Amino acid sequence: MILDGIGDEEKWLAEGIAGIQHHAFYMHRALDANNLRDALKYSALMLSELRTSRLSPHKYYDLYMRAFDELRKLEMFFKDESRHGVSIVDLYELVQHAGNILPRLYLLCTVGSVYIKSKEAPAKDVLKDLVEMCRAIQHPMRGLFLRSYLSQVSRDKLPDIGSEYEGDADTVMDAVDFVLQNFTEMNKLWVRMQYQGPGRVREKHEKERSELRDLVGKNLHVLSQIEGVELELYKDTVLPRVLEQVINCKDELAQYYLMDCIIQVFPDEYHLQTLETLLAAFPQLQPTVDIKTVLSQLMERLSNYAASSTDVLPEFLQVEAFSKLSSAIGRVIEAQIDMPIVGSISLYVSLLTFTLRVHPDRLDYVDQVLGACVKKLSGTTKLEDNRAIKQVVALLSAPLEKYDDIVTALTLSNYPRVMDHLDNGTNKVMAVVIIQSIMKNNSCISTADKVEVLFELIKGLIKDLDCTSADELDEEDFGEEQNSVARLIHMLYNDDPEEMLKILCTVKKHIMSGGPKRLPFTVPPLILSALKLVRRLQGQDGEVVGEEMPATPKKIFQILNQTIEALSSVPSPELALRLYLECAEAANDCDLEPVAYEFFTQAFVLYEEEVADSKAQVTAIHLIIGTLQRMNVFGIENRDTLTHKATGYSAKLLKKPDQCRAVYACSHLFWVDDQDGVKDGERVLLCLKRALRIANAAQQMASVTRGSSGPVTLFVEILNKYLYFFEKGNPQITSAAIQGLVELIKTEMQSDSTNVSPAPDAFFSSTLRYIQFQKQKGGVMGEKYSPIKV
Amino acid sequence: MNYLIGAFKPSCNISITFSDAKTRKQVPLKKESGQAVLVPLFQSQENISGKISIEPIQGKKVEHNGVKVELLGQIEMYFDRGNFYDFTSLVRELDVPGELYEKKTYPFEFSTVEMPYETYNGVNVRLRYVLKVTVSRGYAGSIVEYQDFVVRNYSPPPSINNSIKMEVGIEDCLHIEFEYNKSKYHLKDVIIGKIYFLLVRIKIKNMDLEIRRRESTGSGPSTHVETETLAKFELMDGAPVRGESIPIRLFLSPYELTPTHRNINNKFSVKYYLNLVLVDEEDRRYFKQQEITIYRLQETS
Amino acid sequence: MVLVLALGDLHIPHRAPDLPAKFKSMLVPGKIQHIICTGNLCIKEVHDYLKTLCPDLHIARGEYDEETRYPETKTLTIGQFKLGLCHGHQVIPWGDLDSLAMLQRQLDVDILVTGHTHQFTAYKHEGGVVINPGSASGAFSSITYDVNPSFVLMDIDGLRVVVYVYELIDGEVKVDKIDFKKTTAAHSAH
Repeated sequence: MILDGIGDEEKWLAEGIAGIQHHAFYMHRALDANNLRDALKYSALMLSELRTSRLSPHKYYDLYMRAFDELRKLEMFFKDESRHGVSIVDLYELVQHAGNILPRLYLLCTVGSVYIKSKEAPAKDVLKDLVEMCRAIQHPMRGLFLRSYLSQVSRDKLPDIGSEYEGDADTVMDAVDFVLQNFTEMNKLWVRMQYQGPGRVREKHEKERSELRDLVGKNLHVLSQIEGVELELYKDTVLPRVLEQVINCKDELAQYYLMDCIIQVFPDEYHLQTLETLLAAFPQLQPTVDIKTVLSQLMERLSNYAASSTDVLPEFLQVEAFSKLSSAIGRVIEAQIDMPIVGSISLYVSLLTFTLRVHPDRLDYVDQVLGACVKKLSGTTKLEDNRAIKQVVALLSAPLEKYDDIVTALTLSNYPRVMDHLDNGTNKVMAVVIIQSIMKNNSCISTADKVEVLFELIKGLIKDLDCTSADELDEEDFGEEQNSVARLIHMLYNDDPEEMLKILCTVKKHIMSGGPKRLPFTVPPLILSALKLVRRLQGQDGEVVGEEMPATPKKIFQILNQTIEALSSVPSPELALRLYLECAEAANDCDLEPVAYEFFTQAFVLYEEEVADSKAQVTAIHLIIGTLQRMNVFGIENRDTLTHKATGYSAKLLKKPDQCRAVYACSHLFWVDDQDGVKDGERVLLCLKRALRIANAAQQMASVTRGSSGPVTLFVEILNKYLYFFEKGNPQITSAAIQGLVELIKTEMQSDSTNVSPAPDAFFSSTLRYIQFQKQKGGVMGEKYSPIKV
Repeated sequence: MNYLIGAFKPSCNISITFSDAKTRKQVPLKKESGQAVLVPLFQSQENISGKISIEPIQGKKVEHNGVKVELLGQIEMYFDRGNFYDFTSLVRELDVPGELYEKKTYPFEFSTVEMPYETYNGVNVRLRYVLKVTVSRGYAGSIVEYQDFVVRNYSPPPSINNSIKMEVGIEDCLHIEFEYNKSKYHLKDVIIGKIYFLLVRIKIKNMDLEIRRRESTGSGPSTHVETETLAKFELMDGAPVRGESIPIRLFLSPYELTPTHRNINNKFSVKYYLNLVLVDEEDRRYFKQQEITIYRLQETS
Repeated sequence: MVLVLALGDLHIPHRAPDLPAKFKSMLVPGKIQHIICTGNLCIKEVHDYLKTLCPDLHIARGEYDEETRYPETKTLTIGQFKLGLCHGHQVIPWGDLDSLAMLQRQLDVDILVTGHTHQFTAYKHEGGVVINPGSASGAFSSITYDVNPSFVLMDIDGLRVVVYVYELIDGEVKVDKIDFKKTTAAHSAH
């Protein structure tokens, strides 16, 4: 039988509709014949179909609407006295002879509507009578629909200001009283529905009940549409009486819906002016009511109202909206002891959103909200409820979004205190949010103090807060986090070198505590940031007297040295080596020979002791040579030491071709093509000859191992180096030597004709073409080239 | 039978006309046959006058021992049908014994007739007023003609008319307080009232107000009581909760009521009661009956 | 007509937080057919970002790239042009045109794209071009002072290539254009 419930309901509805149609047919006949007696008889019979208890609200509504349409025809008939010959007063009595209460009251409301329209009696008397008589329907659903009908037919006949029904005896107060009474009765009926049915079907009942809520809420809508409900009337009568009903009904669903409804239907201006009354209601609601959502709605609306026009802002100040909302939230949280922490926090999120939108200039308000949140959180240890954590993240993110500027958030004393209540994972998430906010808004953090606060906020990313977390973290995630810290370091900047140095020291202090996994990410940006500062100070290197920590390149290099050292012990030697070389070049630019030498020394030590991979060695050697080639700060002795070392490393590379290339690259260490550069043609030649020897060795080694001679590429490369120095005017490089080398390569290539690889062939061809090109160029260069035959 | 009727066909026609027949109000009266006929309406202390015409059937003469008209107020109990108890009997002699050859008209008049009781047609009893014309004849039986009329007596609004207010209930189950605005209602009156629910622990389905008429006839051990429900008027649909009050507004005009009759000539009484009935979901009925007095108020028209 | 984006030396996040916002808004997916990158991105996020602009992405390895599998040099053919790609720290002296010309001969390419100096340059050289797109993020360089963020867009059409240089100077994007025409298919002789 239970399974058949829905099918049965369809059947009952169909029967009900058929009944209505049947009686309506005879009613129409009576109306056509102007037969009042029969019209009343059949309309009452028709309305009796609404006495059913078997339909759900949804289906009942269907039935109701059909009856509603029929009643409009009856109403037209009632209106026309010439058709039935009975005065409206008598008609008002006549319909009350009906024996059944529900049809009687539907008819009474219908006639009542005509009665008001006739103005034979004051509207208020008729309204009062109707709303009182409707008490007779105590069945919740039938009562709700009947009263809804009353509301519907009376809507346009309320004695509102400016309405034709307003008069000496009828004031807007009567209209308000009427609607309020109907509202109150409807709500009582609605609330009563929850007591119906056993627990098992309670859920179904709750759903059905929920479907009826708009019938109740409609009354509030009608109230809001009454012109005469001006602020004073709203404040003194309407709101207190509505709230009284809301509070007294003690029903969770009704309270939630109606509070929301009040907020939605009445103007924002009214809310603002009655904030105290409205807010005072919240702590009196049932503990299970979702107050936070409703309050959030209110604050959202007020925020939007504030945003709508700057003219309204003084109103907010005048009514002290913030402090009222703030204390109301406090009271609600206090009153609802069982409210989960997520509820409290989301209330603070809403308040914060309101504050940020309405009083963006009041940072003290923002801090106050955060402070209240800290107070609420202080009872607990770390948060564990995921939804609560989400809310805290929202709370902390809101100021960042609003102010486009982390700096503002950094002045909020309670901000870090809120963060302390997050678990490590969320703390990191929040730290990432903070960094993203800074990056998005391109905010510059310009003092060491702020940097200190900032690093305190993001400490979850800067160091391990406990021993377990770092290991558990996914490597890729960890990398992304640390890269975001690296990016952040570029946003810490001040034009004033002294302050900038302080910033760098602060950053260094924090990142040094990051441990071996973080340093490779965080050290390079710090070093580069420091090098930028060095470059700014370059050339103004003087004695600054009296300063405790003068921002001089020397001082900075000391710090850099320590920092990179930490990196090399991580160990991350290749990165450290590169950074040493960058520093060396910076020191060169600052004309600090000992410093530059020291950096080179460090780089060499790392090379010798830590860089073991042959491929890494090749790159490192190129970087060493490339950097050293550019150094001009060194005196002969230091330079000799370093070039000697570099050449030595080159010759000791594992693979012959690598050796060869490194060695010929070293030739540039002895010939720097600028005015004051070193020009030691002999040692250039020595390098190139050494390179040739290595190339030969490589060639022979290849023929032994592979049974054929190797590629001639190395020879062509060396040929190109010969040409380079030849053109630069190195007297040791002669056209004869070049000629010899060209012939050598040709021979090598012919002897290896079976195994020609196209690349060296093309390389050699284009080199020869280049020689040809230079020959034909004429002038000094053409002349220089003329002895060479190709 | 037709033959017999024809044989005993009265030898004259008697007609009774009231002197103000054209202007006097007429009301329907239900005859024994079930048909309603219109008859004149009187009240106590009125003069009842008119003319009585006796016209012999053409070519016949009527010998008689005298002609008289009686005004009778009679009570007839249905368990004793045909046996009338006359509580009023007035006689006017119209003619001395003689013969009638042609139509003869007699004026008559009963002045300021005392008619204390109203005409009543009940379940077991009837009270009627009638004019009875008798043409007495010794051998062939008297010729008799009846003319009914209705008497209604009007009361002024009672000087004391208290409301009926009462608290009733079933312990720990249902407590209500009801109030009817009056204890005496005229026939076109409206009953206004309220029911307050002080305690509701049963699931009420609906509530009705009934108007009941109790007619008692006879006296002593042979008293016979007949109760009719004249109106069943639904007051409430659904189950109220504590603190609710439900309005009552019942118009009496649609119902065929009579005034309350108390101990009419020691023969019968007609009393009215309001019966408040609550029905719960198991169709159990809880009721409380209260007597009200119905009176006839002079219509001002 | 083929559009080739050439850029490099972003040094993110070592030396710069990100690409300039103005560049990012100019570089939209779907317009570019190839990207050639001179290296030093330095992290995967940047690689992934470039990949969103154009899936055909060629990268030579810079000394700071965390990805060690990028090749030291790379050549590719686009239309009639052969392009060579190398970061440049291997070519000493750094940024030296004559030395780069040797690399161009070695790779046997029409257009050689290298980086490392963070200085935008474009030279016509013996019937070829040597281009350095500079640093797209304007990263600090030991070699070049006052680095402006820059990148290069090459419009290759038949034997003609137009090189557009986008440079961010004081917050404004400046565009320069260099035209280059390949005279003969000289290399085909061999």
